[in-house]
Amino acid sequence: MRLTIKITLATLLGVVLIFSVYSYLSIQREREQIKRNLSREARHIGESLRVIVTELWQQRGEDEALDFLVRANQGYSETLVRWVWVVENPPAHYKPRVPLSHLDRLRFEETVTLMAASDEGHDFLLTYLPVLTPSGRIGAIELMESMEEMHDYVQESLRRSAIVVGALVVSGLALMTVLGSIWVGRPMRKLRAQAERIGTGDFSTSINLSGSDELAELSNTIERMRGQLAQARDAEQAANAAKIEALEKLRHTERLATLGQLSAGMAHELGTPLNVIAGRAKLISREGMAAEDISRSATIIHDQAQRMTGIMRQLLSFARRGEARKQRIDLNLVMRAVLPLLEPTLHKQNVDLQLDETPHELSVCADSAQLQQVLLNLILNGIHAMPDGGKITLSGFPAVDVSVPEEVESPDQSWICLQVTDEGTGIEPEVQKRMFDPFFTTKEVGQGTGLGLSIAYGIIQEHGGWIDVESVPDKGSNFRIYLPSTCRGEVA
Amino acid sequence: MIEAVCLDLTPKILLAEDDPELRELLALVLESAGYQVSQCSDGEQLLARLEECEPCHLVISDIHMPGLSGLEVLARRQGRFQQIPFICMTAFGDARTHNKARRLGAVATIDKPFDLDEMIALAGHVCLRNDQH
Repeated sequence: MRLTIKITLATLLGVVLIFSVYSYLSIQREREQIKRNLSREARHIGESLRVIVTELWQQRGEDEALDFLVRANQGYSETLVRWVWVVENPPAHYKPRVPLSHLDRLRFEETVTLMAASDEGHDFLLTYLPVLTPSGRIGAIELMESMEEMHDYVQESLRRSAIVVGALVVSGLALMTVLGSIWVGRPMRKLRAQAERIGTGDFSTSINLSGSDELAELSNTIERMRGQLAQARDAEQAANAAKIEALEKLRHTERLATLGQLSAGMAHELGTPLNVIAGRAKLISREGMAAEDISRSATIIHDQAQRMTGIMRQLLSFARRGEARKQRIDLNLVMRAVLPLLEPTLHKQNVDLQLDETPHELSVCADSAQLQQVLLNLILNGIHAMPDGGKITLSGFPAVDVSVPEEVESPDQSWICLQVTDEGTGIEPEVQKRMFDPFFTTKEVGQGTGLGLSIAYGIIQEHGGWIDVESVPDKGSNFRIYLPSTCRGEVA
Repeated sequence: MIEAVCLDLTPKILLAEDDPELRELLALVLESAGYQVSQCSDGEQLLARLEECEPCHLVISDIHMPGLSGLEVLARRQGRFQQIPFICMTAFGDARTHNKARRLGAVATIDKPFDLDEMIALAGHVCLRNDQH
């Protein structure tokens, strides 16, 4: 709407300027015309008077002629007629109203017309007609006409022009306000509302301006844009869903790989009880066993079967992945839960795992199965780094003086740290740079997926935390997992 | 598979196994097959017994044990202990573990779970004693 008023004002300014120039030129021309008419009129009168004066002067003398001129005044109310002498220092009442220098042409018997202003500021038209007196002196008939009439006329013209300009401005503004509101304001409001809707991501409402002006074209363009944006958003959502699904699959794959590593240890652990069961069963089947021995063997078989069930159950509880769910959990419990899963592998690889719990609760908002997987990955890596056995320490504690990485979303809060320290071969600085990259592995082909650490990192990142590594070659590595102690969306 | 000879009528077997149930069962079966069985629950005990010059004709040891593993005991035995035949047991062991045990001088390796008769037969073969059972 403001734009309409601006355009209107600019247009009106142009119109007013042109009209003013036109009026000025018209008035000037009329003024000239009036002046010419008055001058011609004065000349006609003057010519007539000169003939009479010359005649009288010759026949009856100077006094009679000058007297005639005085009387002639009574016949022309608007014109004042006088006799003047065109000589140096004439008598006061025959002195021309303008200096002699303006009247040089009278000496060549030419009529002189000029404008003069009186002391009061009134304009006059003066006409001098030369008269050669019989005595040889040059005199002139002076006709003086007031220009008041012309001034009045010009004033009137100016007033009319001003009224027309005013009316033009007022009516133009009023008309453009009404029409601008209908033609521009209303469609612009619609377009703006639509643009704001699209800006907030609402692509459901369509807009259709009738007509074929620029605003209708713009509305068509916005419509096309809305369609394209909606399409792009749908495509993005589909791609996101596909990405999440792929990530989920990848995590499942990694989980199975971890399971593979764990199950090698588990299978090993199953060998002994199976052996006991098979042996005891064989003993029972032999003839000549005392009833007491048979009963004891049966009890042992039962206990060993229970032991195997326990091992299988642990493995299955890890393998069967429930729906991802974040809730308040105590990290001490998560650390404790990974121990039985790792025990066979630790035993096999001759690695001692020390668990340093904290006496108070380490409460975080997390998916405990996912955290379990992260810990398993880190500890299995630690075991792998110690082929000749050694010690791994798993500890949890509230972190103090943490330097939070830039990419972490909400850095101002308290953090809980889980730490896995091994005495293994350590990690070369070159490897440290790439170790969280997907499919990067230092293990032999078929030994690792190269996804463990990248998935562990992804899981911790999803929990709003990060993983730090310190490693000295041949001394060991120290992985620190930082998790926020507040849930996302939960008030601290 | 046969490397050593022992002609004692009641040969002595040094049995090392960390799982008490399996250890008890093996001892029971081997004793009933006519052997004298001396038991230990880890590698350190086994090595100590060997160094104490306890006379024995056969060592049956688990590979995975707390402290010293069976393989480590195999690697550390020296001098005359080297003459004592060594049978290694391992649960679902892979080929690498078996080969390593053989390279270190084990006369035989056996995978858990094994048949008790198989173990008796193996012990018998090693001790050149034809078991009647």
